Amino acid sequence: MSVRPVWEEKPTVVGQAGKSTLLFLVTAAVIIPLWSVIVTSLSSRETIDRAGGMVFIPRGIDFSAYESLFATDRVTQALWVSFIVTIGGTALSITLTVLAAYGLSRPGSMWHRTLLFLFLLTFLFGPGLIPSYLLVTGLGLKDNLLSLILPTAVNAFNLIVLRAFFMNIPGELIDSARIDGAGEWRVLWQIVIPLSKAVIAVVALFYAVGYWNSFFNAILYLSDPADHPIQLVLRSFILQGQAPPGVSLPGTSVPPPTLAIKMAVVAVTVIPALIVYPFVQKHFTKAVLTGAIKG
Amino acid sequence: MKRRNLLGLAGLSALAMAGCTSTPTNSGSSTNVNKLDAILPKYQPVDLVKPDIVVPPPAAPGFLSYPSTLVDAITTKPGKGGAPIKVTTLNWGTTPPGLGKNKYLDAINAELGVNMDFAINDGNTYSDKLTAILSARDVTDVLVVPSWNTNIPRFPEAVGTLFEDLTEFLKGDAVLKYPMLASFPKGAWQHCVWGGKLSAVPFVSDNPFAWGLFYRKDIFDAAKLAPPKTAEELYQLGKALTKSDAGQWAFGDITDYVQMIFKVPGSEGGWRVEGGKVVNKIETPEFMAALEFTAKLFKENMVHPDLVGDPNAGADQLFKSGKIAIWQNGLGGWQNTYRDQLKVNPNFKMLPMPVFAHDGSKPLVWGADEPIFYTFIKKGLGKERTEEILGCLNWCAAPFGTKEWELRQYGAEGVHFTRGPDRVPVTNDTYNNEYGNQYTFMSGRPAAITGGSDTPNFVQDYTTWTRGAVEHIEANPWAGIKFEEPTKLAQLNKPTQDKIKDVVRGRRPLSEWKSIVEDWKKNGGDEGREFYAKALNA
Repeated sequence: MSVRPVWEEKPTVVGQAGKSTLLFLVTAAVIIPLWSVIVTSLSSRETIDRAGGMVFIPRGIDFSAYESLFATDRVTQALWVSFIVTIGGTALSITLTVLAAYGLSRPGSMWHRTLLFLFLLTFLFGPGLIPSYLLVTGLGLKDNLLSLILPTAVNAFNLIVLRAFFMNIPGELIDSARIDGAGEWRVLWQIVIPLSKAVIAVVALFYAVGYWNSFFNAILYLSDPADHPIQLVLRSFILQGQAPPGVSLPGTSVPPPTLAIKMAVVAVTVIPALIVYPFVQKHFTKAVLTGAIKG
Repeated sequence: MKRRNLLGLAGLSALAMAGCTSTPTNSGSSTNVNKLDAILPKYQPVDLVKPDIVVPPPAAPGFLSYPSTLVDAITTKPGKGGAPIKVTTLNWGTTPPGLGKNKYLDAINAELGVNMDFAINDGNTYSDKLTAILSARDVTDVLVVPSWNTNIPRFPEAVGTLFEDLTEFLKGDAVLKYPMLASFPKGAWQHCVWGGKLSAVPFVSDNPFAWGLFYRKDIFDAAKLAPPKTAEELYQLGKALTKSDAGQWAFGDITDYVQMIFKVPGSEGGWRVEGGKVVNKIETPEFMAALEFTAKLFKENMVHPDLVGDPNAGADQLFKSGKIAIWQNGLGGWQNTYRDQLKVNPNFKMLPMPVFAHDGSKPLVWGADEPIFYTFIKKGLGKERTEEILGCLNWCAAPFGTKEWELRQYGAEGVHFTRGPDRVPVTNDTYNNEYGNQYTFMSGRPAAITGGSDTPNFVQDYTTWTRGAVEHIEANPWAGIKFEEPTKLAQLNKPTQDKIKDVVRGRRPLSEWKSIVEDWKKNGGDEGREFYAKALNA
């Protein structure tokens, strides 16, 4: 059923064809590479050799790339670590961000301006590699999964998005709750959070995707391979045998990965994010716009 | 927050950023290690197995067959069985399981008499990790550093502060306590001197060559073509091999190798001395000729279109598939690619083209005999512990033909490999899972090229090429001088590389090259010239 208002004219055939073509092209630009990744990951060496690289037209299915990826418990262990970090990290991040954003959204809260200023400063200045490393090792977090979570636990952008949304909640609602005897915790828990589910879902998604994709902190702080998250492990599959240009690596006799393995890696990395996305997608526009136009 | 406050914050940050991004001040440093003979270890070769093919050093000799009996070269365990020796090292590939979950480590640690516990890092981001751990003074008992990472800021200072001075342990006859280390050539040890002290154990390079120009011999044979002897012949080959309708192109991105063909200088990243004046490659007429030639290959569509967009877009796969027939690559990946590809294509044959110059004259080959890795020992561990670690490094350096070499290279028989009909170990999945160059990168071994029935004729082909190339290795006027390059010059490398890419691909006209060189001079090139001239006269 059309949702066009009655006063608008019917689109012309040319306009509709143009729009359809454009949409088709945009969709194809997304679908075709993904298709090729999945088909290549399921192709045999011979098929890939014949294609000279990425395969678009499947010739039989070969699961050997996935078999070799999951031959040891390396990938499953890393998936487990990533799930723990993502779920634990997101829960912690959301808790901290909601609390901070709520505090900063209430006019007259303690050190409100100074704290907001300090949060905003982190927008402009990263801490830098060496100070971060000194802090994390100084706190005794080396070789601890918390080193993947705590340094990135609160993100200033997400904080501002949430704060802007909270500030937009009518003051009357909160006042009436107060009259009924609600304290700050109850106001937050029973009034503000239920009204902000959409934006919290989106911020949670931002955090979760961030934790899921992060690998650099793991490179810096985790030395036991059993603690490595999935992105680091999968990256190592991709980079196997790839020396810097002009350097010939000696010694190694472990065969480099096939293109099928590399593409299986891409599939394994991307699919969990693709599964989560549709569930929170509907909240996206609303939440992101809130952050963009309020401040 | 009010708008005015926010603007104030933005202003403050802009000011602060301006302060942070002031020009870096490192103007570089150099040390002439030629003058430090007195502190170098005595050279005493270990001749356990005679090579079948001798090639002049720094290229490695070849061994055609696997020894029928292996020598037990180190009979006493170097370890004292105390606390594990913690090692920070690197690898390009999956990280093997750690201590307690890795039979390869168990087997070698049992031989060493002490546990070595490895933290293996990703080779491609290792400089970040090094920067962090060196700045935080957070180093393990042993640290492996690749030679190309020794240019991170203030590295020489870190060496002096954090790592043990090994001079007294290794200089002169003292090294004879570690006979395998004594078999490393003097040239490799020279590079291990920082601040006048012997500070590291080298990993001797078995492959001093920067590039080989590989071609698919099976494709050449089928088309009755032969490797070229001049640039013109290479161009004609390109014409004959490119059949874009059939999905075949002659070349991958061979920009660097073409420079070698045109005798562009390669020492220290492209410097040479010309009539007493220091000149960079990009200023030379040879470089201009190489640019023109490469641009012609791109313009006439002889380079695979995938590699026009991205020079690294799967060139190895295109070569294996026969979509390109000629490709520049290091020699290090040759044996692996050959072995792996023979399994799916029994006719597959890849060879590096014999070296040649553009006009058929005496060729020039880029190369360096600098060690690939350096192994440092943490300062303050005490004499006994340092000697224990040096003993372990000595074990790891046992050469081809010893039981130690086989265990280090292939793991334990029956667990990590089975023996093929020619006695050469054939490794299995356990090996692939557990091996990550742990002990190999730590102190290396006297170089050797070895093969097996899975790579027929490899040793002969390899040594034939190296013998032809080694005599043409460019003489480096700065040989024996260690550098910390000026920051400005180091920062110029990437943008200049990008401009070379643009010119050969026709995105910038060749005529622009002159002004690019002028910019380069102004932005740090001239400073670099002074730096290298000064180092030469020091």
